[in-house]
Amino acid sequence: MASDVSEFNVIIAGVGGQGILFSSRVITRAALDSGLNFVQSEVHGLAQRYGSIKTEIRMGRDVVSPLIMEGTLDLLVALEPIEALRYASYITERTSIVMNTHLVAPIGAYLERKRIPRVEEILEALQTLEPRRLEALNAVEVAERAGDIVVTNSVLLGAVDALGVLPFEEGALRRALEKEAPRRYLELNLRAFDMGREEILKR
Amino acid sequence: MSKAVLSPPGSIVPLLGNEAIARGAIEAGLDVAAAYPGTPSTEIGETLAEAARELGFHFEWATNEKVASEVAIGAAWSGLRAMCFMKHVGVNVAADALFTLTYAGTIGGLVVVSADDPHAHSSQNEQDNRHYAVAMGLPMLEPSTPQEAKDLVYRAFDLSERYALPFLVRSTTRISHTRAPVRLGEIRERRGKGRFKPPEPDRYVQVGAIARKHHRELLEKLTRIERELAPELAEVRGGSGDLGVITSGVAYAYVLEAARAMGLDVPILKLTMTNPLPAERIGEFLRGLQRVLIVEELDPYLEERVKAIAKDTAPDVEILGKAQGLLPRVGELNIRLVVGALSRVTGRPSPIDFSALEERAKPALELAVSRPPVMCPACPHRASGYVIRRAAGTAVYLNDIGCYALLFQRPFNLGDVTHAMGSGVGFANGISLATDQKTVALIGDSTFFHAGIPALINAVHHKRKFLLVVLDNRITAMTGHQPHPGVPVSATGEEVPALDIEKVVRGLGVEHVQVVDPFDFKAAENAVREAMKHDGVSVVIMRRECALLTVRRLRREGVKIVPYRVDPEKCTYCRVCINTYACPAFVDTGKVVEIDPTVCFGCGSCVDVCPYGAIEPMEGSLDWRGEKIGV
Repeated sequence: MASDVSEFNVIIAGVGGQGILFSSRVITRAALDSGLNFVQSEVHGLAQRYGSIKTEIRMGRDVVSPLIMEGTLDLLVALEPIEALRYASYITERTSIVMNTHLVAPIGAYLERKRIPRVEEILEALQTLEPRRLEALNAVEVAERAGDIVVTNSVLLGAVDALGVLPFEEGALRRALEKEAPRRYLELNLRAFDMGREEILKR
Repeated sequence: MSKAVLSPPGSIVPLLGNEAIARGAIEAGLDVAAAYPGTPSTEIGETLAEAARELGFHFEWATNEKVASEVAIGAAWSGLRAMCFMKHVGVNVAADALFTLTYAGTIGGLVVVSADDPHAHSSQNEQDNRHYAVAMGLPMLEPSTPQEAKDLVYRAFDLSERYALPFLVRSTTRISHTRAPVRLGEIRERRGKGRFKPPEPDRYVQVGAIARKHHRELLEKLTRIERELAPELAEVRGGSGDLGVITSGVAYAYVLEAARAMGLDVPILKLTMTNPLPAERIGEFLRGLQRVLIVEELDPYLEERVKAIAKDTAPDVEILGKAQGLLPRVGELNIRLVVGALSRVTGRPSPIDFSALEERAKPALELAVSRPPVMCPACPHRASGYVIRRAAGTAVYLNDIGCYALLFQRPFNLGDVTHAMGSGVGFANGISLATDQKTVALIGDSTFFHAGIPALINAVHHKRKFLLVVLDNRITAMTGHQPHPGVPVSATGEEVPALDIEKVVRGLGVEHVQVVDPFDFKAAENAVREAMKHDGVSVVIMRRECALLTVRRLRREGVKIVPYRVDPEKCTYCRVCINTYACPAFVDTGKVVEIDPTVCFGCGSCVDVCPYGAIEPMEGSLDWRGEKIGV
């Protein structure tokens, strides 16, 4: 089924330390289990230290390049709103966006007295790009209700799942999370995932 | 390491390029591997460290890349299969051993992996190590996917034994840090113990006439490799027309997709062996064409060599690439850049109007305030920077390679120089000699062992006057927490003797040495002030564990991390906390400063930074200083 997809491109963006690599691993696990070819690039080392971080995931029969070409993005998952803006030139009418509304301002911007955009402005700017769909939620707040803010990333995965755009069968993403989450935090992660999913489905 | 690396033969598992490299070596029957951590090569070692515990081969994080190479070379000369790996600049450190190694050759399979970093994502430069392969006479293989990385490393061990020569596998960030499905192969049996027995008495003695003899032999070996091996490590992929592409490594992936996006069916020559190059094969490819675009990252390495080959084999073919500005020499490539080059060469329009996309995105991009990496919340280096800034004042600050290199940023401004491993101490020697300026060098614990010690010896011996601050966070932090000689555990979890930096420094003859906790601002400031007065080289060791380790340990122990808060009644919005301490957990609301509970690790180090006592613990917040957590 899924393996005849030609190309599905995902960017997961956020700030170092927000669990972006983990979220990517869950998605690629789901791809593999769905018999889907994939290529995923990530960033390690100094760049990880509370700077802008992204992973690019490409799934489908024809993908070989680890990097996505502008204009061909299918899904943008932003763990932080400012980080969603950085990929504006990738966004077209084929792009769905899931964005956490909890803004983390770069400390350097305060030091240089740069203007920090408000979340409403960010949403407006993204909306102007006419994405296929734009869903914003306070995933930190949902994670807190689930039990711990460390599972904010799983809330967003749940929200992504609810969009139904990923080239997987129903339930594949949740099963992948089950496989990838550390045993001790498994329940917490699944709860966060379900709550994130619910958050979108009830809209 | 992902557990997937040790899955049974035949399974298809998602592996990072670096994990695939490690798996390739394991499948080849690796006996000994050594390395010094460096992005983008580190995960090879992380993977081997964990696998070694299970499979019993040897892996170590060595003091530096030269030592790591020598560990591997010694093992290979003893008949074992050995590997060393490093980031591109690590080859500079190892080069002294590697250059002569190709004269000596090897008995056991010996593979050197260089992980280059086009774009300098996590590096001080973009050096193109393909030049090293030529200069050293090292045969070089370049994978273009994680699967190929595994297969080529595996094969390199056999080839190394066949030609009695080490083989270089060159990866780049987008191979090393790309995850893709990889099909695993059988794991060969290891040899276990070796025996040092040179094949001829002078095989490993490189002096004068013997070295010249070995140099001649090396050139003969390379000629043989070019004839026998290079042609089969090159492949032509389909295509028609009079335009062709020559490429290698990850650039091949961009070429495939760019051509597909443009609906072009160009013949592509993909080179897997890039030193020595298969000149005849390249000549054949050129002869069927009128124009050839060379697609490669960084230097025009292939481009210049293909031009030289074309001169003899196909002088009428036009060779296109960097010389015409079709592709950049700086930064990494991507599909878009290759689309651009193909579009200019063929006259076909790009399938996507990139400038229109950019124009549309402008308002959003303008809002996207930049976010360079910063030190983590609770990072001991932030406290060290704060203390040094206050106590040492105006001085020349020579920073080094590590997370603390970030202290060059505002508000600390402690980095007039960040250059190469250990260079800060070396430069302090020169600058304190040449000027009367106050001179302060900063170095991390791992970097100190790696390359700081010889320069400190020089300073003592030559009666230099400067302060060296060792920022000792008890681990190699930047690359993801690898042990170093100052840590009592080896890469594979064995208990090993830890070298005490204080004793080492005293042993080198430094008379003024102090050890302080940087979170204890008062004591640390006093230590710096006193050290600055000392007439000679002084050393202050600021010792506190990397905050990420502390937080991980606390979480493992089930301790809940509770952040600190700012009392809005007491906060006068003076912004001293932001302007002098700059923890990423601070939030400036425009009226008061707050602490973002999703970022704060609850260390409490910022409490004393606030002149109004507005920063306070919440219920359950720890006090890392008072409770001696992390020291």
